[in-house]
Amino acid sequence: MIKLDIFRFDEAADEVPHRDVVEVDVPETTTVLDALEEAKATVDGSISFRRSCRSAICGSCSMNINGVTGLACKTPCNTVMDESGTIHIDPMPNFQPMRDLVVHMDPFWDKYTRLKPYLQPADKDEDHERERRVSPEDMKKLVDVANCIMCATCYALCPVVSVDPAFAGPAAIAYAYRFIEDVRDGERSERLAQINEDYLWLCAHCYACSYCPKHVDPHWRIVDVKRATINDRVMMNERGPRHALTVNKTVKQTGMLAETELIIGTIGRFNIRGLLKTVPLGLRMAAKGKMPPPFIKPIPKVDEIRTIFESLEVPVG
Amino acid sequence: MIKHDVVVIGGGLAGMRAAVEAAERGADVAIVSKMHPVRSHSGAAQGGINAALGNREDDTPQNHAFDTVKGSDYLGDQDCIEAMCEDAPHQIIWLEHRGCIFSRMPDGRIAQRPFGGAGSPRTCYSADVTGLVILHTLWEQLERFNVKVYEEYFCTALCVEDGVGSGVVAYNMRNGELELINAKATIFATGGAGRMYAKTTNGYASTADGLGIAFRAGIPIMDMEFVQFHPTSLKENGVLLSEAARGEGAYLLNADGERFMFKYAPNKGELASRDVVSRAEWTEILEGRGVEGCVLLDLRHLGREKILERLPQIRELALDATGKDAVNEPIPILPGMHYTMGGIETDINGSTRVPGVYAAGECATPSVHGANRLGGNSLLETIVYGSRSAKHAMEYIKSVGEVRPSERTLKAEKERLNRWLSKTGGERAPKYRASMNKTMSEYCFIFRNEAQLQTAVDELLAIRKAFDENVYVMDKSKTFNTDLVNTMETDFLIDAAMCVANGALARKESRGAQARTDYPERDDENWLVHTLAWRRDGQNPRLDYSRKVTITKWQPEVRTY
Repeated sequence: MIKLDIFRFDEAADEVPHRDVVEVDVPETTTVLDALEEAKATVDGSISFRRSCRSAICGSCSMNINGVTGLACKTPCNTVMDESGTIHIDPMPNFQPMRDLVVHMDPFWDKYTRLKPYLQPADKDEDHERERRVSPEDMKKLVDVANCIMCATCYALCPVVSVDPAFAGPAAIAYAYRFIEDVRDGERSERLAQINEDYLWLCAHCYACSYCPKHVDPHWRIVDVKRATINDRVMMNERGPRHALTVNKTVKQTGMLAETELIIGTIGRFNIRGLLKTVPLGLRMAAKGKMPPPFIKPIPKVDEIRTIFESLEVPVG
Repeated sequence: MIKHDVVVIGGGLAGMRAAVEAAERGADVAIVSKMHPVRSHSGAAQGGINAALGNREDDTPQNHAFDTVKGSDYLGDQDCIEAMCEDAPHQIIWLEHRGCIFSRMPDGRIAQRPFGGAGSPRTCYSADVTGLVILHTLWEQLERFNVKVYEEYFCTALCVEDGVGSGVVAYNMRNGELELINAKATIFATGGAGRMYAKTTNGYASTADGLGIAFRAGIPIMDMEFVQFHPTSLKENGVLLSEAARGEGAYLLNADGERFMFKYAPNKGELASRDVVSRAEWTEILEGRGVEGCVLLDLRHLGREKILERLPQIRELALDATGKDAVNEPIPILPGMHYTMGGIETDINGSTRVPGVYAAGECATPSVHGANRLGGNSLLETIVYGSRSAKHAMEYIKSVGEVRPSERTLKAEKERLNRWLSKTGGERAPKYRASMNKTMSEYCFIFRNEAQLQTAVDELLAIRKAFDENVYVMDKSKTFNTDLVNTMETDFLIDAAMCVANGALARKESRGAQARTDYPERDDENWLVHTLAWRRDGQNPRLDYSRKVTITKWQPEVRTY
């Protein structure tokens, strides 16, 4: 017997959620989704969840299983149940619950709409009687991202989304990458500008979204998009890329994070108004004796640090 | 009341292709779908989409059409088939121009792979996620044209007023309200009916919705006895392993390690058409050469690199379900319910017999697949007939003024649902679903005979009557009531299953996917006709054979592979 401990809530009727434990007689290798189906069919018809393909391609059944979000159809019960055979099931975090395990998905879809998620070719379709030629290598980059099934697992796992819902989130950034890297698309710069506006640089690189049921690993696509904004030099007046480059520069030069330089570099040396805004903070820090030194001397053996940088640096362009 | 010029029921490939066609032509069009479009089961299509691009070998739409006619065991309507194959290359280029991510040849053109029953490699693909990439491309076009999607609205009934279609009634799953959607043209694109059977490659959502709705509105359902059993589905959960595996060179082996297909199809072997391969597998299993009720799909000789590049999804699906890695060991597989060749009867333009009502994709049958569909032709049908039905709907609405909203249909639907919701006892839908699944899997499977089919017909009629009298919905909530939705789906599925069993019992011949052990030969003299099933309340459907097969170029011949 498997015990499903399920979050229960009806937004139209309930003030607060409660939990029900439902026992089902299924083999332990059954997926969590099929166990839920069995519970719904044989015990309680009111248990609500989304599902469609049951083969990890439609992205419907993302839910929180023992505290970790994933696809219920790809999670066998015996990999998640405790000694008593219990599995705790909750709706995805970072979403508003609607009914039991069903959540309001609209904010997630809105992140895609903002991307203008459709090909905007540089040339006219009519110029091509046949397919546009694209090399297998250029296509391969897109195919890997095309495996994304928009299940929102990464969005639910993202701690940045949980504190700032304006953040585009990993899935949408990976989808932006799909167009940014498409050689047929003509709006690369505009797309980079848009994703930058949608707080690309808020990503904290915590790797939570690397837990992707389809191995798309949006985290590395976020890194790729950040790199593209720097390599293309389209967003160089924005704080995100300037911050990243200044961190890079000061650590490489001194072996340490030069905080004064970082503030100036991020805000801009000639952005007098921006710099003035930091004065009160500087004064408060000085009053507490926390003002960082204006200049930092390189640490001993800084050459070793620089060697690490040089071996990691990808040639630009 | 919601109002649009054109309303499309279903957000899979056929539905979205229809909506995009209408939107490109400036129509006021909306999609009504029981789920978000990208959740549609079209996304589970793996292997590819056929078009005579001739990128790998010389090929023509006529060759494609002949292969399709032969694949259909000469039951397909040849005008509809020629229209599809002629349009195929244009539709592929249309998709590519809109960003579809097809796999490429070294020179940058679209790659093509061999598929069953095809004379040359004409299946365009994207690794083994072809359905998914096309689904995303079309969804992107919905975003581009800002097409209104009534997401998580379950369509319950078709409105017919003054003899013409006037929209639908739909159940808003988010607040439990039934709403009238008024439209001059309605296009059904609701997909398959796999859940008639216990083991199917289809997902939970493939429940014959549009088919059941049209049937109840007096539109005939055609050729439902032709059910495709896919040769390679997993024993554990019925999940599909693409024909692309065999297209890329995989073997089918029996318990003796023999590549048995050449006994049944001396020329094509594993790449014979699906009906032939499924029967061969089942014969091997019945004659005791199976491995625990399965045969084996062997990919090992393809090598790790090719498997990971071209077939990564099926490798993972097999690994998840069986614990076996196709790189290192053969995967046990067996035939599983996959596709209904039959569906809502349409003509070559996607029109049904009710003006203003169209159907496209798996739920529809202009008859391009006849008695057996070739792999790679289903995605093609969704795209070609999705756009075709929308084009004709656009022409049709030009000549139509206002159409009368059907308050009486709305009222009848409210009463129907309230009857189920107000009951506190009886039987729940899953019980009837399970009985139907058992009947279909036992008596209406690959090999059929009179006695078994009669049992199926009788049992299904009993299930129909019991359902109508006793069914009730346990969940009374107005928020996302999937118990109610499942009950409506089961209601439609029972209708679809009755069409399958009655059609199969009446058709006294073997053709394509219909294999009668008591009538093992194809009978062109008497049965080169389509089966039309008309609904009768609480009874078996009335069958009619007035629609003859359209033959343009190819007279029926003996069919061997």
